[in-house]
Amino acid sequence: MWRTNLAVAFVVLGTLGVYTAVANMIPQVQSDVPEELVLSADVTPEELVAAGEILFAGSGGGCTACHGLGTRAPDLLGSIGSTCETRESGKSCKDYLYEALVEPGAYVVEGFQAIMPDMSRTLSDAQIWSLVAFLESQGGEVTVTGADLAASDDGPPAMAPTDPVTNGDVAPADIDAAALLQSLGCAACHAYGAAPGGVGPAISAMAGLDLDYLRRSIIDPAADTATGFEALAGTMPLTFGEQLTDAELEALVTYLAGGAE
Amino acid sequence: MSGSACHRRAYLGAGLVLAVFGLLALVGAGELLAQDASQIRRYGDFPIIGARGAIWITAQVHLMFAAFVLGVPMFAIVVEAIGIFGGDKRYDKLAKEFTRLLLIAYSATAIWGAMLTFALSSLYPVFWAYLTTIFGPSMWLYAALFIVESFTLYLYYYGWDRWSAGKAKYGHWGLGILLNVWGTIVMFIANGWLTYMMSPPAEVAADTAPDQVQLWSAIFNATWMPINIHRILANVVFGGAIVGMYAAYRFLAAKTDEERAHYDWMGYIGNFIAIGALIVLPFAGYYLGREIYEFNQQMGITMMGGFMSWLWIIQAFLIGVLFLAGNYYLWIGMGRIPGAERFTPYVKYMLIVLVAGVIVWATPHTIIASRDEIAAMGGTHHPFLGALGVMSAKNTAVNLMILTTFLSFMLYRRANKIPVVSWARSGTIAQGAALAIAAVVVTFYGVYGYFVTAIVRIGFSVYQVLAVLAAMLLVVVLDVMMLRGAQSRGEIRWGQMPARSQYALFVLAVTFTWLMGLMGFARSGIRQHWHVYEVIRDASVQAATPALGPAATMISVCVLIFLSLVAIIFWLGGLAEKPAHKDTADLVIAVPSPAQAGGEA
Repeated sequence: MWRTNLAVAFVVLGTLGVYTAVANMIPQVQSDVPEELVLSADVTPEELVAAGEILFAGSGGGCTACHGLGTRAPDLLGSIGSTCETRESGKSCKDYLYEALVEPGAYVVEGFQAIMPDMSRTLSDAQIWSLVAFLESQGGEVTVTGADLAASDDGPPAMAPTDPVTNGDVAPADIDAAALLQSLGCAACHAYGAAPGGVGPAISAMAGLDLDYLRRSIIDPAADTATGFEALAGTMPLTFGEQLTDAELEALVTYLAGGAE
Repeated sequence: MSGSACHRRAYLGAGLVLAVFGLLALVGAGELLAQDASQIRRYGDFPIIGARGAIWITAQVHLMFAAFVLGVPMFAIVVEAIGIFGGDKRYDKLAKEFTRLLLIAYSATAIWGAMLTFALSSLYPVFWAYLTTIFGPSMWLYAALFIVESFTLYLYYYGWDRWSAGKAKYGHWGLGILLNVWGTIVMFIANGWLTYMMSPPAEVAADTAPDQVQLWSAIFNATWMPINIHRILANVVFGGAIVGMYAAYRFLAAKTDEERAHYDWMGYIGNFIAIGALIVLPFAGYYLGREIYEFNQQMGITMMGGFMSWLWIIQAFLIGVLFLAGNYYLWIGMGRIPGAERFTPYVKYMLIVLVAGVIVWATPHTIIASRDEIAAMGGTHHPFLGALGVMSAKNTAVNLMILTTFLSFMLYRRANKIPVVSWARSGTIAQGAALAIAAVVVTFYGVYGYFVTAIVRIGFSVYQVLAVLAAMLLVVVLDVMMLRGAQSRGEIRWGQMPARSQYALFVLAVTFTWLMGLMGFARSGIRQHWHVYEVIRDASVQAATPALGPAATMISVCVLIFLSLVAIIFWLGGLAEKPAHKDTADLVIAVPSPAQAGGEA
């Protein structure tokens, strides 16, 4: 009898153990709670864009769960800032994007279904404006200001968010390009130092490349695709053109063409 | 009255009183909200596992017992009906045995329900007050029906032998039907509470006061009916699996051939009901998923393509185990049926279809991939396997698996029978053709789905499902007609099953239970950091929704607690069967009945 009991216990515990182990072996994705966004009335466009980008990527996929696949919803990265003004006649880019977030049924892009949820149910007004700013930055000019936030109902409490990039008036030669490359997260995809890369060409392979080609590859990655990486086309973020100052871009291009040394 | 019966009533009564008093006392929590919410702490804490861990365990174990006590009466009345209308006393005995297990499990359900209520009111007092403000009247109704259901169960079980013949037997069966009606209404009410948290009505917003929410509108929300249907079927599956596990244990522990034969047969019935209901469960799941998308696309996408996307790969793995273990049990069972050997050569082909189906179903596709994974795959989807991970391939795989399992059942059923009707040959050909046509339709739409847009492709799944359902219906109807008065190739040798077949029943029960926990996590987890989706935010320190690994560990803990308690219930059930020793037995027999005693006085 005890033998039977032991065998039954072994089967039950073994089955539970296998299921638990399999579930712990697969990639672990936790859905974090979005942090509350607090922006001041004198918030800069860069600060808004940075906050919006974090929201766009979101925990567990964020907006990219639909806007990154191309079939569920339009791809927005890199282009929406330049096309938004033409979507609805008489509406500015800012107004259109705001409307698309809080009243998504008002205008639906042709070829897509009205599946976009009303984001005002889940996001604060500050978060919505920061998303508008981020989307404007995708190929267009950021026109959202602190005044837009101040005009909204919940108002802008006092506090500034993250430190913006502060290389504005610095000459390219004075910029630490290696540190910039690290801070931009290039090594997450491009082999660099100990980072294995594999999603894009290795940093070392860019040595000696034409400066114009490198410049274009950074600010408009869709223009050219490196040989051998065709299947990964579209993976490179389209935001560096907005994110980098002219001086930073030049410092980076020179650094890459020089073999990253 | 025997001592064991007294104990059962005591357990049941204690659980009932605890649950009802707990519920009624806490309905008053609604008053808290009317007072000053700012004076009440929003969240409590629980040692070691935290508040959410405590709620998770109490809710999950309560739901597992609830599923058992709702599922078992459903087939208890079906089995009793077979006994009544078929005149086979074995079925009546089996139904009573099911109900005996139910009696003890019922008190466990009530006790865990009360613990859940206490945990909610002490760990999430403000949110609980919010819920009771909206749902207070339905909670009173729930408590009242719970009492009515309990007494119906008393009558059903304790009146079994008294109302065992003639018209009284029909009355007894009617009690069983009533028991199911009460239980189903109770479940529907509770489903209203939990589905409100998942899909509140559109007019409810963050600034809507709870006393302004219409009760019926809150209950009749977007996912209420899909969950009701899904849970009814899932409860039948679950009840069948647990009964199958009970029978398997009793089979392994049996001392006589007669006992072994009885529990072999009981295990077969449990497995038949579990797998039979499982076959239609994916359709109910599809309906629920569709309603979730209809309610909120973002929620649907979070569920299927967002942070929960890997969950469905685990689900596919589990369902693969269920299909394989269920079919394995049937195939081994054919060894005790004279004439079944003629079907043995087909088993390997059915196994190939099932394994291939599981592989396709478990192929990841729309998941959040890390940069390393993208680099390893050479793209956002795998260059070759990515094509198998899309809905077209998965729908095709699961429908073919369902057809294959159905075929296993039909071969099992046909194994020892020789049809005597004149059209037997053409009927068999028609059955084969129906299954083949369904398989062709499923495959055709599966392939065609690659060449159309997503919205058209989704519509194809309806054609696939309809083809499978139509084929199954036609085959069953033909089979019933064809096997009327059929000759037998020999009696099924009940009890002559290898022990490994019984372990397959254990794997089935554990897997069903674990799957129930996983689906509970999916349903609850898609709310993410919301108590009520997009209405009331979870502001506790444990608001983040955990990844699948920690969730799986919690699920396993819940399953272990549940199965341990079920083992105790089985043991108690065994104690109730026989007297402790001979003297007691003699004593019981020697005591005259009240009628005899009165006659002699």
